[in-house]
Amino acid sequence: MSLMRLVKITIASFLGALLLVPFLECSADAAMGDVSLELAQDTIEISTFYNGTTLEVSGDVAVDDDVVLLVSGPREEVHLKEKGKVAGFLWMNKKDVILENTPAVYMVYTPEGSSEKLVSTDLGTGYQALLSDISIMPESADKAFIFEEYVKLMEQSGVYAVHAASVQYGTPENGMKSFKVVLVIPSKMKAGTYSVEAIAVKGGVVIDRAQSGLILKLSGLPAVISSLAYERPLLFGFMAVFIAIATGLLIGVVFRGGGGAH
Amino acid sequence: MLHMYLPIAGNSVNVFLILGLGGFVGLLSGIFGVGGGFLMTPLLMMFGIPPTVAAASDSNQIVGASTSGTLAHMRLGNVDVPMGLMLLIGGVGGGTVGVQLIKLLRAMGNADFLIAITYVIMLGGVGGYMFWESLQGLKKDKQGIAVTAQVEEKESVKGGKTFLQRLPMQYKFEKSGCEVSMLMPLSIGVLVGILAAIMGVGGGFIMVPVMVYLLRMPMHVVVGTSLFQILFTCINVTIMQSYSNHTVDFVLAVLLLLGSTIGAQAGTAVSKRLKADQLKIMLASLVLLVCVKMTAGLLMTPAIMVALKGGH
Repeated sequence: MSLMRLVKITIASFLGALLLVPFLECSADAAMGDVSLELAQDTIEISTFYNGTTLEVSGDVAVDDDVVLLVSGPREEVHLKEKGKVAGFLWMNKKDVILENTPAVYMVYTPEGSSEKLVSTDLGTGYQALLSDISIMPESADKAFIFEEYVKLMEQSGVYAVHAASVQYGTPENGMKSFKVVLVIPSKMKAGTYSVEAIAVKGGVVIDRAQSGLILKLSGLPAVISSLAYERPLLFGFMAVFIAIATGLLIGVVFRGGGGAH
Repeated sequence: MLHMYLPIAGNSVNVFLILGLGGFVGLLSGIFGVGGGFLMTPLLMMFGIPPTVAAASDSNQIVGASTSGTLAHMRLGNVDVPMGLMLLIGGVGGGTVGVQLIKLLRAMGNADFLIAITYVIMLGGVGGYMFWESLQGLKKDKQGIAVTAQVEEKESVKGGKTFLQRLPMQYKFEKSGCEVSMLMPLSIGVLVGILAAIMGVGGGFIMVPVMVYLLRMPMHVVVGTSLFQILFTCINVTIMQSYSNHTVDFVLAVLLLLGSTIGAQAGTAVSKRLKADQLKIMLASLVLLVCVKMTAGLLMTPAIMVALKGGH
């Protein structure tokens, strides 16, 4: 009996210790590898003459760690057409495919020298890491291939990117070093709420994370037009026609003025 | 460089680039009486505007350009209003049929194939025939035979009279210089309307050759009347697109408009100085160029194997 009891206690304490280990390790490492993050501004206004912008992000990370920055946007359902051959030689948009739970924006920023190690599925960084979250309709479609092609499409418009060697470190002080990176905000990044995340990595393991929200919002003329177009579409349509006709007539009159009235 | 943000397209564009693009297409519109949708939409897509927004905003822009163009041509006496109205009524009816046809084909799953093939055949056929025909006209001119397009057109009217006179509802279209049944432009309008709906364009580049070759109208009246008909078609499209799809980008349309209205006026002046055959051969070359580009796009392996759904 006592032997059994001893075994039970040993197992219980062993399991308890097992449960505690990651917690202890985590808190110990958090203290050591703590990462902080600060955005120069947390709201970007999209006004009349907006053409994308840049945003400075800074923070501190433990001296022995590396930091990766992830900018990602609202998850959405993307409707695509897969190209294929028709009649054996004509390339056309053929099959409908839907990618679900795909981020509208996905940008990775890595420091100099260690980019390859820091973009990996294990760390949850890079395009490959996104693949497991995304589902495809119909399920028979080749998810990896379609997503790879979709990434190319998004890279063209600048909303998907891996900016290698873009994070700069400052001089170490008290076991910490500062970091700085200039985020590229392309004009194709739509109004919405995005997440900026700094991930501290040491020896191929994520040690700590810090996250901050980034809001892009329409202001001025774009805000007025957008609300009119979506909230009063019929009025908007008539207004668009009216202004077009008025401009056409005005230019016509200006030109006739030049040629002399009849 | 000055950029402006397009709230509906969700992108920003270089102001001067769009003004220039509007000016270029407006010039063509003034010269040939085509809306230019078959050129503008692909060009806008090249500059990162989503296909649906490009097509809808272009319609908005054409309203302005064709107002200015129609006005200029009216002053020159180049608009045959009764003819334009008949084509318009037919076009609206045909467009409605065409939209339903596309819905049916999409459900059957081969709409895209039909659209692409229609494009290539129409552009190639229309462009090729116009090019060949105008080249013959220009050659005759060179040989010293004073055959102007107008004389040729009148001769052709003689040839077609027996068939056309048999149809009921005969009407004398004075500006067009022909007496035909009202059913003729009406049914042509229906046909072009169906084609335009299938191809997702205003149909100016089909309407112009049809008026020249089927109705035997003088080229300059064709241009004015076509613009008149396009104006009303595009007013309808702009309102429908704004209301049901929210795809009209007002900022984009106004920028294109500023360029195109000025371009259209310049185009009308240029059109006055050119001979009918010269006009036709230029439009034919342009149509053929678009046809070649489109065919190349169908034959070459694409760099990216997926496209965002929405355009053709």
